[in-house]
Amino acid sequence: MFSRLTSHIFFSTQPSFKFCASPTFFLYICILLTACGQTAVEPKVILIPPVGSVTLNRSIDTPAPEQQLDIGVLVFETKPNGQDAQRFGDWVFAEIRDNETHYLPYVLRDTLLDSNQWGAVRVLPEFDPSLDLQIKGTVLKSDGIDLHLQIQAEDSTGRLWLDKVYADAAYESDYPASTRFTNANQFDATGFVDPFQDIYDQIANDLLAVKKTFDTSNLVDLRRVSQMVYANDLSPETFSYTLNKTIDGRLLVSSLLAENDPMLARIEDMRLRHHLFIDTVDQYYEALHNEMQVAYIIWRRYSFDQINEEENTAQRAFNPDQYGRSRSFLSLTQRYDRYRWSKIYQQEFRELASGFNREIAPAILDLNKDVHGLSGTMEEQYIQWRRILRALFELESGQEVSAN
Amino acid sequence: MVKWLEKYSFNGSKALALVFAVAAASGDGTGQIFAQEATLGAPADVAEIEHLPRLNLDNPLRLNFSGSWEKDFQRSDKWEDELSRMMTIRQERSAIQSTGGTGVLGPSVSIGNINLNSSRARGSSIVDLARLTEYVSRQTTMEIYQDRNEVRIERRGEADLVCTLAEGPTETFSSDHGAEMCGWDRQQLVFRTALPGDLDIMHRFSVSSNTKVLRMVVSISSRDSAPFNLIQAFNRYDASSGPFNCIQTITRGKVCSQTTILE
Repeated sequence: MFSRLTSHIFFSTQPSFKFCASPTFFLYICILLTACGQTAVEPKVILIPPVGSVTLNRSIDTPAPEQQLDIGVLVFETKPNGQDAQRFGDWVFAEIRDNETHYLPYVLRDTLLDSNQWGAVRVLPEFDPSLDLQIKGTVLKSDGIDLHLQIQAEDSTGRLWLDKVYADAAYESDYPASTRFTNANQFDATGFVDPFQDIYDQIANDLLAVKKTFDTSNLVDLRRVSQMVYANDLSPETFSYTLNKTIDGRLLVSSLLAENDPMLARIEDMRLRHHLFIDTVDQYYEALHNEMQVAYIIWRRYSFDQINEEENTAQRAFNPDQYGRSRSFLSLTQRYDRYRWSKIYQQEFRELASGFNREIAPAILDLNKDVHGLSGTMEEQYIQWRRILRALFELESGQEVSAN
Repeated sequence: MVKWLEKYSFNGSKALALVFAVAAASGDGTGQIFAQEATLGAPADVAEIEHLPRLNLDNPLRLNFSGSWEKDFQRSDKWEDELSRMMTIRQERSAIQSTGGTGVLGPSVSIGNINLNSSRARGSSIVDLARLTEYVSRQTTMEIYQDRNEVRIERRGEADLVCTLAEGPTETFSSDHGAEMCGWDRQQLVFRTALPGDLDIMHRFSVSSNTKVLRMVVSISSRDSAPFNLIQAFNRYDASSGPFNCIQTITRGKVCSQTTILE
């Protein structure tokens, strides 16, 4: 569109133009502006079919104990977005993406619990060796209209349950009028259904479908492996003999401890304590989710409106054939005003983005508060806790050996 | 050259140190002053100092544009006068040309009896460009905020002009309706906007060495036409900041808090 930028900027013959130009600077700016104007090479767009309307597969009855696999949903990751660094000030959107990596896994965690098909489901900052199934997610795209997630689920044996990209699209009807902020209308998130709830329902249903392919003995074995993986994590030198790796990299229990082995009781005791800790960690993510929810939903509504507006204005974009003949003052001011308003609109949207980050900053700080006397970020505290448990286990085991 | 000055004022057991970095002028006799507040005193306070923001000497030192500015009409160009001056020059050139002189042909002009060498398809007339320049630079006041990272120019009814203090041109905005880049030409802050149809707008800001006068040059050109330039001068004035500090939030809209000045 702007392939022919003025080149006469390099000179100024007007006497009133008293500032001398630096050719180097203009050379840069001309090259860059020219580059902006040329048709950019669009990144290859991979279309992911949206999940559509999905009904969560809920269980009315509490599942049998062996069916109650413990799940850890790890804090999501984000895929670096090349657009973040393109324009000055756009890092505010990267910050939003970082913040939502704490929020979105909690929605998945809630959905899995809501399905009543699993045991405990917790959001965790790191991989946890005490759980049966771990879910990792990467946010590929997230705005008011689209959510694309890459989900990987792997059980304690190393079996991959899921490795799939999910996409969902939100519509106007997903955002009730109450999600648009006005002073007279304070949004109440009670009973609000996430605009992308279908994506979480689909993930939960897919996980359930995989679980259903296992018979009871498979699930019992899986839980045994989980137990021994945790024992190995506590004391690899003591328990490494209990697990074997198959050719395809899966773990199998090669040697079981006796039911009345005091070591087994100690491991279970440690595991229980550890689960109490990760319950607390999960509560911190719950608090963060609750703090963020209203602001996040309204933010998404703004994002939804902004994208729609951008699409509408793109349709009214400059058409050289239409304007090429008209270079009157009216035409010039119209061109300038369109540019001016599109920039004002974008700046206001960026200001709202800053407002969102500013508003949830205290909740993010709360997340990193000290848990059980540990300090640092939630990730650091989690690592500290696991070290403490290992040291405790070694201490207790050592005392017993010397007593014997 | 960077000269460091230290000024101490004692407050209880702690000393408050204001560290000034005075950047000597690179050529035009101007300098930028940054102040950094640090707490000195007990050895434990060293850790506190470590956490304080530090001057990033990798960032180039810039003149301070911040403040409230109002147009000085006496020292600013009037677009009609500037247009008239340009017309006179072109008339003279065309007169020389018609009498067999060897003057260089100027860009097309499309009014009155000086509509010579014109091809309307080439670009907008100088009158339209002049009027647009006046339209773009019609604001009589502006607020400029500057910190270690960016300078933000706010004008009523206009989108803010925001630029980094770092070297090199930076893309600040792009849409279907135009693109904007900014950068520094020595100590001058330059914004260049490319609008559809090869319409080019440039804002160039410079501030006097005593930071009391700000100069804004707006240049607009269209296609191959010569730019129309309008120079505006602004004087610094003390605008009362008002009793409220407002921030944008998502769930409560704009939230303002009252500021109380402690005597």
